Amino acid sequence: MGNWVVNHWFSVLFLVVWLGLNVFLFVDAFLKYEKADKYYYTRKILGSTLACARASALCLNFNSTLILLPVCRNLLSFLRGTCSFCSRTLRKQLDHNLTFHKLVAYMICLHTAIHIIAHLFNFDCYSRSRQATDGSLASILSSLSHDEKKGGSWLNPIQSRNTTVEYVTFTSIAGLTGVIMTIALILMVTSATEFIRRSYFEVFWYTHHLFIFYILGLGIHGIGGIVRGQTEESMNESHPRKCAESFEMWDDRDSHCRRPKFEGHPPESWKWILAPVILYICERILRFYRSQQKVVITKMNKRGFSMEVGQYIFVNCPSISLLEWHPFTLTSAPEEDFFSIHIRAAGDWTENLIRAFEQQYSPIPRIEVDGPFGTASEDVFQYEVAVLVGAGIGVTPFASILKSIWYKFQCADHNLKTKKIYFYWICRETGAFSWFNNLLTSLEQEMEELGKVGFLNYRLFLTGWDSNIVGHAALNFDKATDIVTGLKQKTSFGRPMWDNEFSTIATSHPKSVVGVFLCGPRTLAKSLRKCCHRYSSLDPRKVQFYFNKENF
Amino acid sequence: MGQIEWAMWANEQALASGLILITGGIVATAGRFTQWYFGAYSIVAGVFVCLLEYPRGKRKKGSTMERWGQKYMTAVVKLFGPFTRNYYVRAVLHLLLSVPAGFLLATILGTACLAIASGIYLLILWDRR
Repeated sequence: MGNWVVNHWFSVLFLVVWLGLNVFLFVDAFLKYEKADKYYYTRKILGSTLACARASALCLNFNSTLILLPVCRNLLSFLRGTCSFCSRTLRKQLDHNLTFHKLVAYMICLHTAIHIIAHLFNFDCYSRSRQATDGSLASILSSLSHDEKKGGSWLNPIQSRNTTVEYVTFTSIAGLTGVIMTIALILMVTSATEFIRRSYFEVFWYTHHLFIFYILGLGIHGIGGIVRGQTEESMNESHPRKCAESFEMWDDRDSHCRRPKFEGHPPESWKWILAPVILYICERILRFYRSQQKVVITKMNKRGFSMEVGQYIFVNCPSISLLEWHPFTLTSAPEEDFFSIHIRAAGDWTENLIRAFEQQYSPIPRIEVDGPFGTASEDVFQYEVAVLVGAGIGVTPFASILKSIWYKFQCADHNLKTKKIYFYWICRETGAFSWFNNLLTSLEQEMEELGKVGFLNYRLFLTGWDSNIVGHAALNFDKATDIVTGLKQKTSFGRPMWDNEFSTIATSHPKSVVGVFLCGPRTLAKSLRKCCHRYSSLDPRKVQFYFNKENF
Repeated sequence: MGQIEWAMWANEQALASGLILITGGIVATAGRFTQWYFGAYSIVAGVFVCLLEYPRGKRKKGSTMERWGQKYMTAVVKLFGPFTRNYYVRAVLHLLLSVPAGFLLATILGTACLAIASGIYLLILWDRR
């Protein structure tokens, strides 16, 4: 529990402040429209749904301001770099940018729903009061003319008895932009569900650019001034508290009260979104500029590129697709003079890329690179004993980490506190990861040459085994190298028994601080976290396991 | 384009449209708007669409993550037989279902979204040409 608080206090505080601001803005706007005299007559027709709609509109403005900020990757990297004096906990929050983006998006969806429902009631009220012939206050207010010659001081946007609410919706700027924005929002949300994003990235990527319609629509949504309040002048002349009761006598010459005059609320959404839009445009220009820098392939090089372990880059290949950028974790170490990624064929774009590179007779396609992004996983180097667990494709960031640790170890880097690494690689089959296999083989060889065989202890677990493989392994039990991988360490079949592993490590390092790092599924994170609690000694001087849920 | 299974996105879009139809229908019925009976229709149509689209179809390539509890729904959906398996039938069905809801402002958003879902299902047939 203490561990959780230490790691998450800033996130919790940030979310509480954000939610608090939402609640505050909603309640403040609600009370303003519910109590203010300026909207006294408007409320006579609409009731409390006016305040509801305006309160949710203010929250929509606030959240629309926030939504573009977490996706300004370069801005966030810049902040991370300049705040190097801030603690790592604070800087790590910048890695949760996408989580925040999604939360703000859900809030926008919620407030959109409230806003639309409230306005549906509003339109219905306006429609009824336009149809009403009972001479009530509502019907008199609705009959105020739209004629510009008489001052255009109308209240009810529905001009005549025959006008339907659908007509007003699709012929007013507010209605039309509202419909366009909502449809864009819905399409963005349905194509951004985790399933679609992970399986058909292109659908998500292209559809999400509908946000342009959302932002443009939001900017001009309020231009028509459909939300009407009484003018200052009219209030001074005939204050609603005095004159509302005597509405039948407004037209009498000797009455103190005149017909009220109304004016539209000026649009204010553009003021909220102007700054983030400018920031985002700068971000896109910067991404474009960085993408134009030359990348030398075979071993990638780019001027001014500097990376740290655990970071990722975005790659674009114009000959395959002009607009698509795909993220890949870096597999090289910062100590190397090139950077590398490993790409698995998992969809249209990746397959086309691999095919383009495999062409013997055409020149290598040009690629563009943006990045690196992400908080460096420097924590790994701070622990005396590190337990690294990579499941499936999750092994990719560990390539970078392992290589870097090895370089630091060779150079006797003083920043490296690590004395022992336990690396667990869990996958269905090693076929797709033969490059990682090669990395482990070369590390094995180098360690032998330096006489430091005990530094890296790795175990490979094949979860996709069958009786053939096991039979074969049993027959070749006493061979020096493993028949599946060719490594000195023998492959195990099935999933690791974490209790055994943790108790062995605890016994071998009774006084150390052990850092556990995972890149893999959530269920595995749960079991590892449990083991960390169970095998950490109560005595703080003895063995302690710290689980790091790094954002790989 | 080749590997994108549009049916998966069409499924998400149709499910969302069903929920929007239900919400719009409830608002129209509860508020007793003019022509609120279209709202009542919208609730029924929305529930039907949600039940039909809740079970996620099996992907052609790769593993499919089932939605929670979908196996109960699949048994019901299968009863409708070939009507529900064929994407062309689904596209036409969604298009027809969306039309009546278009007469009421509260449910017109549901109409637009369901029509788009229908369009995505039709895209599959265009893609297969």
